[in-house]
Amino acid sequence: MDSSRKQQVAVSELVHPKGAIRSPARPLPELRNLRTWASLLVVAVLAVLPALSGSFLLYSLSLCFANALAVLSVSVLVRYGGEVSIGHSFFVALGAYSVAILEKHFGLGLWISLPAALALGFVAGLLFAIPSRRMSGIYLAVASMALALCLPELLIHMERWTGGFEGLYISRDLVPGVSKAGQRYYLALAALVLVCLALAHFRGSRQGMALLLARAHPRAAEAFGITRSWARISIFALSATLASLSGAVLAFASSTVSPNSFTLWSGIFYLVGSVIGLQGTSLIAALIGGGVITLIPQYLASAGDYVPILYGAALLIVTLVANSGSGLRRFLPGKAA
Amino acid sequence: MSALSALPQDLPPLLWSGLVSGCLYGLGALGLVMVFKSSKVVNFAHGNLAGLAAFLVYGFSSGVLLNLSWGSAVALALGLTAIIGVLGYAVIAPLVFKSDLTSTIATLGIGLILQGTIQIVFGAEIVSLELPIPSFGFGLGSLRITAYDLTVLAVTALMIGGLFFVIERTRLGIAFRAVCSNPFASRVCGLNLRLVHLFSWVSGAVLGLVAALLIVPTTFLSSTTVASFMLTAFTAAVVGGFSSLPGAAVGGIVVGIAMNLFSFYVSPEFMNTFLLGVIMLTLNFFPDGLLEKAAGGRV
Repeated sequence: MDSSRKQQVAVSELVHPKGAIRSPARPLPELRNLRTWASLLVVAVLAVLPALSGSFLLYSLSLCFANALAVLSVSVLVRYGGEVSIGHSFFVALGAYSVAILEKHFGLGLWISLPAALALGFVAGLLFAIPSRRMSGIYLAVASMALALCLPELLIHMERWTGGFEGLYISRDLVPGVSKAGQRYYLALAALVLVCLALAHFRGSRQGMALLLARAHPRAAEAFGITRSWARISIFALSATLASLSGAVLAFASSTVSPNSFTLWSGIFYLVGSVIGLQGTSLIAALIGGGVITLIPQYLASAGDYVPILYGAALLIVTLVANSGSGLRRFLPGKAA
Repeated sequence: MSALSALPQDLPPLLWSGLVSGCLYGLGALGLVMVFKSSKVVNFAHGNLAGLAAFLVYGFSSGVLLNLSWGSAVALALGLTAIIGVLGYAVIAPLVFKSDLTSTIATLGIGLILQGTIQIVFGAEIVSLELPIPSFGFGLGSLRITAYDLTVLAVTALMIGGLFFVIERTRLGIAFRAVCSNPFASRVCGLNLRLVHLFSWVSGAVLGLVAALLIVPTTFLSSTTVASFMLTAFTAAVVGGFSSLPGAAVGGIVVGIAMNLFSFYVSPEFMNTFLLGVIMLTLNFFPDGLLEKAAGGRV
C-alpha cells in the first residue's frame, strides 16, 4: 500500500521533475484563480484611484509603476535566464534619455520616442549580452557592474546631448488637453498591466518554454535546436527592452531626467526590488518590488543613510529564507521554474 | 605628431606609475579570485569591506573613533576586518553550496550593509589618509621614483610572496588547491570545505585592506572612491581569467598600465567606460583570461 503510493509519487516526479519546466497550470488551480482575482482587484482599485486621491500620491504611484517595470525586467532575466544584472540602470537610463533627447533636440512626442526607446533598449541589450554569451552568469554580473558605473560619466560628459549634471525636462503631453498628472499616471499603469499580461502569456508560449528549457536542461534544449547562447542573448535583449520601457515611462511620469537617478545604486536597488518580490513576474510581485524601492526612500528621506542597510538586510533575509530548507519555504508562494 | 615625438619622455613615467597602481589592483583582484576559486562566489562586498577597513584605519588614527598610533590603528582595523570577513561568510554560508548566483546576490546585500555603515559612521565626508613613510624620491631619466612607489612594490611583493608560500607549501594551501580543483573529491577525502572557504574569505579581506590603505594616498577616501576601485579590481580579475591567481596579479598590472595610457592619451573622464570596454573585449576574445595558455591549470 505504502510502497505503491511512493511509486506514484515517483512517476509524477518524472512527469513534472522538480525545478524543470511545468505546464502553465502552476501549483494549484484554486490558488491561480485567487491570484488572477487579486490582480484584477488591484488593477480596478488603481484605475479608479485618481478620482479619489491627491496629486502627490498619484505622482509617487506613477513612479512606483515605472520602477515596477524595471524590477520586472530584472526578474525576467533571473527567471528565464538564470542571470543577475546590477547594471539595468543603464537600460532604464537609455529609455529615459531617448524620450528626453528626442523631445529636446527633435521635438518628437512620446508616440515616436517610446517605440524608439524600446528599439534602442533591444539593440543595446543584444550588444551587451553577446560577449559573455558562452560564459557563466557571474561574468555578466561583473560586466553589468561596469555598465552601471560608466553611465554617470557618459551622461555628465556628453553634456551637449544629455544636459550634463542638470539633466533634461520632458514637457510634451501624450494626449493634449488631458490633465498632466492623469495621463502620466494612466500611461504608467497601462504599461505595467500590459507588460504583466504579455509576460503571463509569454510564460506559456513556445518561446517562453524554450528559454526555460534552455535554462533547466541546456543539453535537451540543444537537441531541440535551442542553443544556450541564443537563449541567453535573446532573454537579455528582452529584459533590456523592458528596462528601457520602464525608463521611458519613468521619464514621462517624473517629467525630468538627470544622472543622479541612474547610479550603480539604482541598478542594485532594481535587483533588491526583484528579490523582495521573489523574482516573480506577476503584477503583484512587480508592484511589491517597485513599491518598496520607490516608497521607502521617499518616506524615509530623513533616514537616508539607513536605506542601504535596510535594503541590504532585506536582500539577505529574503534570499536566506527563500533558500532555506522546506521548513520555511512552505510559507512562500509556489516557486516554479 | 608631437605626442609621438614626446613618447620617450612620456612613456616611462606612465608605465611606472601604471605598474605601481596596477600592483594594488592586482592585490584587490587576488582577494576576489581566491574567494571565487574556493567557494564559487563573486564577492560584490569586497570593495565595500576594503573601503570600510580604510575608513576604520582613518577613524582609529585620527581621533574620530579612537586616537591611536598608525600602527596600532592598522592592527585593530585588520582584526576587525578579518572578523567582518568571517561574519560575512557566516551569513551566506547556507547559500554557498546552493547556487553561485544566489550567494552572489547575497554578497550584494552584505555590501549594501557595509556601505550604509560607512555612511552612518563617517558621513559623506572626503578624508585623506597618508602612509607614515618618509617623503623622498630620486630621478632616473624621465622617471621619478618616490618612497611611496617603493613601499607599494615592496608590500605587494611581500603579500604575494607570503600568499604563494602559504598556498604552495603549507597543508592549508594544499587543501585550498584541492578544494579549488574539485570540491566534491576533497570532501570525500575528509577536507573541511568551510575552513578552506574561511581561509580564502579572510585572506581576501586582508588583501583588500592592504590594497585600500596603499591606494588611498593617491586619491582621497570617500564612500564613492571605493566603488571605482572595486570595478578596477574586478576588471583585473576578468583580464586574468577570474580563476587564476597569477592571472589576477598580472591582470592588475596590465589594467593599471592600460588605464594610465588611456587617461593620458585619450581622456581621463571616461575611465569606467574604458574598463567596461576592456571587460567586454576580454570576455569576447579571451574568455579564460590573458594567461590562459601561459599559466596552465595549476593554482
